[in-house]
Amino acid sequence: MKLPINAVIAILLCRFLRFISRLLHRGGTAMPGRIAMKLCPDLLSYLARDVKTVAVTGTNGKTTCSRMIEEAFSEAGLNYLANRSGANLMSGITTEFVMNSSLTGKAKKSYAVIECDEAAATRVFAQLSPRVIVVTNLFRDQLDRYGEITHTLSNILQGIQAVPEALLCLNADCSLTASLADGGLPNPVHWYGVNASAGMKAIPSLLSDASHCIRCKAEYEYDYHTYAHLGGFRCPKCGYHRQDPDFAVTKILCMDDRHSEAVMNTPSGDICLTVNLPASYNLYNAAAALCAAQAMGISLDICVQALGRFSCGFGRMESFPLAGGTRMILVKNPAGCSQALEFLSGVDTDYILVVCLNDRGADGTDISWIWDANFELLGTFSDRIRKLYVSGDRADDMRLRLKYAGFPDERITVEYSPERLTDMLSQETLPVYIMPTYTAMLDLRTVIVHRCGGKEFWE
Amino acid sequence: MELKICHLYPDVLNLYGDGGNIICLQQRLKWRGIDSCVSRVVIGDTLRLSDFDLLFIGGGQDFEQEVLLPDLQSGKDKEIRSAIEDGLTVLTICGGYQMLGQYYETFDGVRCDFVGALDLYTVGSRTRMIGNTVFRCTEECGGSTVVGFENHSGKTWLGSSVEPLAHVVVGFGNNGEDHTEGVHYKNVFGSYSHGPMLPKNPEFCDLLLETALSRRYGSVKLDPLDDRSELTAHDNMIRRLTGQSLHGA
Repeated sequence: MKLPINAVIAILLCRFLRFISRLLHRGGTAMPGRIAMKLCPDLLSYLARDVKTVAVTGTNGKTTCSRMIEEAFSEAGLNYLANRSGANLMSGITTEFVMNSSLTGKAKKSYAVIECDEAAATRVFAQLSPRVIVVTNLFRDQLDRYGEITHTLSNILQGIQAVPEALLCLNADCSLTASLADGGLPNPVHWYGVNASAGMKAIPSLLSDASHCIRCKAEYEYDYHTYAHLGGFRCPKCGYHRQDPDFAVTKILCMDDRHSEAVMNTPSGDICLTVNLPASYNLYNAAAALCAAQAMGISLDICVQALGRFSCGFGRMESFPLAGGTRMILVKNPAGCSQALEFLSGVDTDYILVVCLNDRGADGTDISWIWDANFELLGTFSDRIRKLYVSGDRADDMRLRLKYAGFPDERITVEYSPERLTDMLSQETLPVYIMPTYTAMLDLRTVIVHRCGGKEFWE
Repeated sequence: MELKICHLYPDVLNLYGDGGNIICLQQRLKWRGIDSCVSRVVIGDTLRLSDFDLLFIGGGQDFEQEVLLPDLQSGKDKEIRSAIEDGLTVLTICGGYQMLGQYYETFDGVRCDFVGALDLYTVGSRTRMIGNTVFRCTEECGGSTVVGFENHSGKTWLGSSVEPLAHVVVGFGNNGEDHTEGVHYKNVFGSYSHGPMLPKNPEFCDLLLETALSRRYGSVKLDPLDDRSELTAHDNMIRRLTGQSLHGA
């Protein structure tokens, strides 16, 4: 099919703007696509037509899961593109496809791994026409921007309805995500999850984002919880219940502050899986990635190798050679933040903890979510936290949250500036864990990368 | 002394960190050596408000609020109405605040009857009122300046038998039109302020605690606490939102 003239001009313009952005040492990850779309609103549909794409959406774990799938693609020797920079709206995805196509719109890559914002899914899926769609989970997140959780769910559903042939990889343990398959969609579904037998350590949470049945509003009963509202749910009234996963973590063999090992049941038998990332929620990400990579035809052996070698970046458990070793754990919402705290509760050395809270657009301007995250857990390991810093635009609020969680106020140091914070950390010899929100991560990461090396965000 | 708190529908009305208010109430008592306990009352439970000194109701999603109406109408509404007339101290936020009113009318004209304990009603609008807020409480409500965050599409209108909690300095408040924020009736304090409301506004939190304790134990005056961190957070936010310092002014 021949490309319309406005699409050709849009491609030229997009590439030119990207070239200028990089000359100016800017990312240029979303802006060129945004402007190109003004000339040709359906540009992406032309460019994505011949590319076999996996799209990953959901509240938490999108980036990590996408990078895991990418690692499997790379291990399998596929030529693919990916929106690695975190530009996951229509504009950023379009830019990425333009940069990977010829001036006549012919794709230079056969495959793609695309992380897609859950609110953008409605429009993106129709143009992207992915072969496989992964939905990681649904948690309350940035209510000022996304609105209520059921609204996010219907956004994703609308997106999926535009691509009836796409195979869905869904989290069986999340009653909200699983409900996507409940409305009689024609799409084939592969389920992944964590079984009761895995014995994933769940710290009981008083707060659930989905306590009542999405179908009939009766209260769910649970056979077990893994974390937050995930687990073996069933509705006593209408019978809506968790599906048996096709890819199920059945046993956790080991879990420490660097990696985890687990047994996973798959349609081709049990496998032993090493995930080169700590924290139990990354087992979910690994299961999702494996489910998706398999659906794209990549062999189990290759997936297993990829997950064992995988190292994530860009603020997700990313390591830096600062102080006695620094790890950054991006936090965005109560569920993810509580998971990060649970991970920290299992670290058995002394360390320095930094919590950075911003309230800019990309973080969510409403910071009240920090009161829904389980900071009270700090009380169980506060003796291992040798110093605690709070930073960011809303450092004062973070300090209050920690004070009211029972952490001694006089042991908390407020340092608003990322530069001075990095100066202080660089004097330390203990390991450092940093929990930043998204824009706080960008700011601090820039300073740390400048200080001790690392990649720019678009690399 | 012990403060008995009833947290109504904590499993359903738990949006926007409102549970932080409970944490705040309890900690500020604990730091003064006063005991407290929280009973979580959920759908299907019996509500006996004579057992409690303070009732807290938070905000929720529309989906979740629908779940509650049949449960309220099975007797809880009557219990809440008589306890409020009796002088029970109540803090209620956003959805919980709307729920104590006469009714909620959706944007397309569907009317939902609520508890009817307070002379106010709410009408849905198409636009959401979202953002940081600053408001100054009336003298009857302590006169302090409160900083919070609001996120609602309902516009609430007060009747003649209730007073506003405060007047808006920054933000929308009850309806974005008459500059009122929240409600005050007997010992009921209703507000649109999330944030959660209490931690950054210790003066208002202590007013609630004193009101609730005084009803059971006779006039109670709480000892002051070291609130430097609270007031720093409070003042910095007010400075950012208004460009000037209001605290103590």
